[in-house]
Amino acid sequence: MFVVDAWKRSGYFRVGGIMLAVLLAIAVLQPWLSQLALQNPDVSPMSMGTFEPYADPSLRHPAGTDKLGRDMLALLFLGIRVSMLIALIAGCTATGIGISLGFIAGYKGGWVDAVLRTGTDMVLVIPSLPLLIALAAYLPTISIPVMSLLLAAFAWPFTTRIIRSQVLTLKQRPFVDLARTSDQGDMSIIFLEILPNLLPFLGVSVAVGMSSAMLAEIGLQLIGLGPASINTLGLMVQQSVQSGVLAIGKWWILFAPVSCLIAFFVALNLINIGLESAFNPRLRSVTGD
Amino acid sequence: MKPLVSYVITRALMFLLSIWGAFTLAFFFFHLIPGDPVSAYLQQLEQQFSQTVDAADAAAMAAEMKARLGIDGSLPEQYWRFLGNVFIRFDLGPSFINFPKPALEHILEKLPWTLWLLGTSTIISWILGFVVGGIIGTFRNNFASQFLINFSLVISQIPSYFTALFALFLFGYWFVLLPTKGAYDPSIEKDLLNPRFLLSVARYAIMPAMAVVMVGVAGTLISTRSLVTTILGDDYLQFAHAKGLRRSHILMRYVLRNAMLPQITGLALSLGFVLNGFYLVEIIFNYPGMGSLFLSAIRLLDYNLILGIVLMSITVVLAATFIIDLLLPLIDPRIKLSD
Repeated sequence: MFVVDAWKRSGYFRVGGIMLAVLLAIAVLQPWLSQLALQNPDVSPMSMGTFEPYADPSLRHPAGTDKLGRDMLALLFLGIRVSMLIALIAGCTATGIGISLGFIAGYKGGWVDAVLRTGTDMVLVIPSLPLLIALAAYLPTISIPVMSLLLAAFAWPFTTRIIRSQVLTLKQRPFVDLARTSDQGDMSIIFLEILPNLLPFLGVSVAVGMSSAMLAEIGLQLIGLGPASINTLGLMVQQSVQSGVLAIGKWWILFAPVSCLIAFFVALNLINIGLESAFNPRLRSVTGD
Repeated sequence: MKPLVSYVITRALMFLLSIWGAFTLAFFFFHLIPGDPVSAYLQQLEQQFSQTVDAADAAAMAAEMKARLGIDGSLPEQYWRFLGNVFIRFDLGPSFINFPKPALEHILEKLPWTLWLLGTSTIISWILGFVVGGIIGTFRNNFASQFLINFSLVISQIPSYFTALFALFLFGYWFVLLPTKGAYDPSIEKDLLNPRFLLSVARYAIMPAMAVVMVGVAGTLISTRSLVTTILGDDYLQFAHAKGLRRSHILMRYVLRNAMLPQITGLALSLGFVLNGFYLVEIIFNYPGMGSLFLSAIRLLDYNLILGIVLMSITVVLAATFIIDLLLPLIDPRIKLSD
């Protein structure tokens, strides 16, 4: 399994993997963890006025409370869970789109490839955030699945590019020729011969898709377009920027979600570097790993 | 025809073609949005003034609005009118801000601020990342290089509006050194020949530019370093080394020159991404550029202005790519020779 190989070969992958595992554990255990933080099974982390507003960090509230009197730690756990879920759906959807287009372009070649490549480069070059924001502004309601699909719609070009270039080189390999001469169909060549070789790249594209979805999500939220009822980390950043917590010296309210997001980005990036340096020998000299 | 002339003509045609393609994409994108912009705007007005309008009146209002905005008629009809308006008359229609002030006028007022800040910070971060990346690629095995590369690997993925928030907190609120909002000191007369005004413009630009530069440098540094590492393994450099040329000479004369070309192309590819983050940085600092204008357009659901800003962003990125393409023959002699 490529994950085990990467774990053995790359220190970057180990660090990134552990960070992501911690975040994932928080996301999964969130219902239990936030009960622990709130010490009251009947209170939801989202309900307002539960505690005194703007309390400083203390034993009772390790991360303080926000303007609406909510425990920051419990909110943070919830934010990690929701943001992770959105990023995961968006990242996987984007990878799915990217793989399909990348395979069609790389495997078919010719004018199909030319059209798909031009289109992909176009989407890559065009500043996507204004388009995404405009789209979100006109949508009547935004739920978690809608949000994820929106984000995925702009996160696929990267995957298409790497999958296409990999398919181009792989389809020249002798084992693919052998499969073709032994009369295997296109589908069976794609799924049984080529795809298994691309698993590490799929890992990279899920990670890249997740982090670009996350990036776009914060963008949407900072404009104030995300749904206010879904507590993502981006929404927490937006709310604290909006209420001017820096100007009144309550910086931890802003820095709690920001540092979670940074941990998320760094973890995904380290996983990428680890996977690439473990499976792309040409790059191994780059990271000196 | 001279190869250079044909190169320029091909590039110019490609530029116009991609502008047309991207504009068409944007046009259909805006017309396929579920729930049309006009009724969304009318609903927002109803909520704002807590009034309810009966269905017949609402329909009449919507029709009137659509005619004013130039989005009535069938889709092909609208598309032709759109092309004529944008490419021949340079007209984006009226904006809701100071109606009927044209949307294009709003955009042109804000565009110089964005271009100045974005241009300066992109160029600074590219040059800095390129030079430092080249140096730590050549001198790889010391603590400083190792530290710099690992630091960059971590920081390169952090969005620039986070570095903006850090800068804001550190220099704006903790040590009160730099202004936190706006683009110039409003108490100084706005005059481009006034040195005090120019000084305040530069001072107000430091923080937002720094936020973009920090992230940009890290990205360029990583890719330059990997390029330099690959180039250093090439035979002609082994030879240059064996000939006894100094390392600094090899770096300047051979390595960086060869690394420059792919790095400049890379810059062109990343501009859209840079612009995305840049708008958010503008919003954080209340910088009076296109990003802040976009925010007010979104709040008002100002259809023409939103579409206009999207089109202008696309134009800025594609034009910058085109200029970079035109500069390439200066750096790469091969383009001049081949035909």
